[in-house]
Amino acid sequence: MPIQRRRFLALAGGAATAGVAGCTGMFDGEDEAADGGEDGGGDDGGGNGGDSAASVEGEELVLTTTTSTYDTGLLDEVNLAFEERFGTPVQAIAQGTGAALETARNGDADVIMVHARGSEDEFMEEGHGVNRRDLMFNDFVILGSPDDPAGIEGGEDAVEAFETVAEAEEMFVSRGDDSGTHVAELEIWDEADAEPGGEWYVEAGAGMGDTLNQTSQQGAYTLSDRGTYISQRGEIELEILVEGPVEGGPEILANPYGILAANPAVHGDRNYDLGMAYIGFLTGQEGQEVVENYTLDGEQLFFPEAISEDPNFEQYVPEGWSANGDADDDETA
Amino acid sequence: MTGGALLAVDALPAFVDLPFESHYITSIVRVSLYVSLVAVAISTLFSLPVAMVVGFSEFPGKSLVTAIINTGMGFPSVVVGLVVLFMLSSSGPFGPLGLVFTPEAMIISQFVLATPVITGVSLAAVTSVERNVRDAAFAMGGTRLDVALVVIKEARFGIATAVLAGFGRAISEVGSVLIVGGNIAYADGTSYTRNLTTAIQLEARQGRFETAMFLGAILVALVLLVNAAVGRLGGSGRTR
Amino acid sequence: MTALLEVTDVSHTYDEAVFEGVSLSVERGEVLAVIGPSGVGKSTLLRLLALFERPDRGSIEFEGTDVWAVSEGQRLEMRRNVGMVFQEASLFDAPVLRNAEYGLRVRQSWPDRVRRGVADLVGRRNGTSETAREALSVVGLEGKEAQNARSLSGGEAQRVAFARALAYDPGVLLLDEPTSDLDPRNTALLEEAIDEARQREIGVVLATHDMHQAERVADRVAVVLGTGIAEIGPAERVFEAPNDDRTRKFVAGELVY
Ligand SMILES: Nc1ncnc2c1ncn2[C@@H]1O[C@H](COP(=O)(O)OP(=O)(O)O)[C@@H](O)[C@H]1O
Ligand SMILES: [Mg+2]
Repeated sequence: MPIQRRRFLALAGGAATAGVAGCTGMFDGEDEAADGGEDGGGDDGGGNGGDSAASVEGEELVLTTTTSTYDTGLLDEVNLAFEERFGTPVQAIAQGTGAALETARNGDADVIMVHARGSEDEFMEEGHGVNRRDLMFNDFVILGSPDDPAGIEGGEDAVEAFETVAEAEEMFVSRGDDSGTHVAELEIWDEADAEPGGEWYVEAGAGMGDTLNQTSQQGAYTLSDRGTYISQRGEIELEILVEGPVEGGPEILANPYGILAANPAVHGDRNYDLGMAYIGFLTGQEGQEVVENYTLDGEQLFFPEAISEDPNFEQYVPEGWSANGDADDDETA
Repeated sequence: MTGGALLAVDALPAFVDLPFESHYITSIVRVSLYVSLVAVAISTLFSLPVAMVVGFSEFPGKSLVTAIINTGMGFPSVVVGLVVLFMLSSSGPFGPLGLVFTPEAMIISQFVLATPVITGVSLAAVTSVERNVRDAAFAMGGTRLDVALVVIKEARFGIATAVLAGFGRAISEVGSVLIVGGNIAYADGTSYTRNLTTAIQLEARQGRFETAMFLGAILVALVLLVNAAVGRLGGSGRTR
Repeated sequence: MTALLEVTDVSHTYDEAVFEGVSLSVERGEVLAVIGPSGVGKSTLLRLLALFERPDRGSIEFEGTDVWAVSEGQRLEMRRNVGMVFQEASLFDAPVLRNAEYGLRVRQSWPDRVRRGVADLVGRRNGTSETAREALSVVGLEGKEAQNARSLSGGEAQRVAFARALAYDPGVLLLDEPTSDLDPRNTALLEEAIDEARQREIGVVLATHDMHQAERVADRVAVVLGTGIAEIGPAERVFEAPNDDRTRKFVAGELVY
């Protein structure tokens, strides 16, 4: 139904323009609009009969996610598979991790797929999210122009590489948008013996794609998720100077993605069951296979992490959460 | 006109190898036109009476309304987007309507952006209509509505300019529709709330500059076509 | 029998008093010329008669009914018995025929008007324009129906304005210095049209500063000087043997206001 409605509205819009264009156009527009109307009528008739069996058809699922899942093309792939299975198209809004969680806090999303564990935990602790699952991972890589003026190429230690760039005061472009990548970058700076600041450190305030473009134009350094880099490396002049854990690099460059649902107790008008269906699909065999098989330029971008024989309880609760604390509360109550 | 433009895009990949699906482009153009034309139509219906009232009557707060119109013309679209988002978000006052991240939310924010432009330019147009002409309509037995209709007819070129300026503002702004619409396209490449400007923004972000340029060319062509269409419509009324 | 139009003791003030205690009447089929120097308030008087605004004091009666004592709807009906031609061009940016039809159109029902509007858009003219064509022929403008009114000469424009007011056959016709900017030929054509209006039993009020015109076309003359009517009476008598001293000077061209 949403598709039919969109089509009709689009046609109505078309008819309006055609009307502006003059008489001939007006008649064309009327024909189209009339056709659209008939189609709509037919569908309604069907809806009362056979169509009513398809339960989730016509429902909407709103997913907020990070630009990296979207810009790599993975999201379209999994969403197509989901739609094929459940008949519900996914409305995906690609934002930074911070914005994605904020949108969900406002009650405007059913499912959230992000990559900043600290922010996810906070979100859950506030009661906005439930049923968090580890979904997949890839890694971050440190990128720079091929001439590498600071000389960090081949390093094994991300923190050291950052320190070197800071010391040389070579330009470093930060996402600066409270995204998962930005949070990961700040964590590395926290470890480093250098302060990000000064004229060499610029904040793009933009998505990964924009930041890569800007870094390439400036011949600067940046931290990127591997997926977005691979999907865009044809358009930019940047090379991997420090590898992430996928290629044997340091653990601090790991980039795990989590997925969680809006808490139906807090956001009662959200589509919780459909959201859980989406989480179930993505963390199930079929969804994980799509993740596994998704390649760009012949390279796998994301590594499934959801299906495991180990219980892996930590994925459900905020990091460092202990059941004992909760038990104490119960006793005092 | 639209039909023609869409057909042209549909036909293109047959002989030119473009790096995108034509279905993707056509659905984006549809969303763009639907959102902006509806927003401008509603805005015009709202703006004309406001311009008439502000132009031809005295009431308390008139200077405030004029000030709002004048500052509104240059209002930053991202701010409008933020305010509309706060209003429409599930946690906002109009949350129960469920409009956030829909084309209708985009229509609302474009309406807010286009209205001061259309009202302001229309106001200038209707107040420049000669008083004699208004008096004549009244003296020939016209009611207040008849007089207003005469004024609108006399000011039609100025009003057409106003509508075009509003359309230009609506279809080419990116800040607010990105915030309230969410730039959503389904996985099969059908746009839901992705219009030309947000698509250009997305394509540029991903470094697909050719697609972005192509979309930009369509945007410019659409604005030119609508201008030409409105110009012709206005011109046919005058037989000098 | 009551007069077609009766003005009793009307006073009106803008920044200063324009009139004080003006009274006059107009009968069917008569031309009353209102003469007086520029700025004396001729236009103001005509605007009051066209019900643009309410006088500060006094009454205006159409066929015995005080126009400001009735409902808005009734006043519209009375207003619709009045035609007016203004001093400056006031035609609509539309073809001549559309201008001439305007009064007839606004008197039609909305469904009819919409139907007519659609017919115009599609380019099919039919129906009610015969009266308007006839009014155009009175001012000698047959054949100009399709021309845009804004492209007419000043004389033609005033004649269209006259036809526009004549077309709906008003009881009262108010003419505010209609020929002040016109050449002799167009002036003559308009004066013929005024004569035609008289034949049709219309009561005409003609404001003019041209005494010769008043002599040519008026049955009666009201001379406005200062804030009131200095003299009112049959045209011949007022011009040949004025009672009022200032009128005598004004008629002789001595009184420079
Ligand atoms: N709307 C108005 N507001 C203020 N003063 C006016 C207005 N209309 C006319 N007047 C004044 O009233 C006086 C009479 O003007 P008017 O009736 O136009 O004279 P006439 O037509 O005889 O030349 C003038 O002093 C004019 O300035
Ligand atoms: Mg005057």
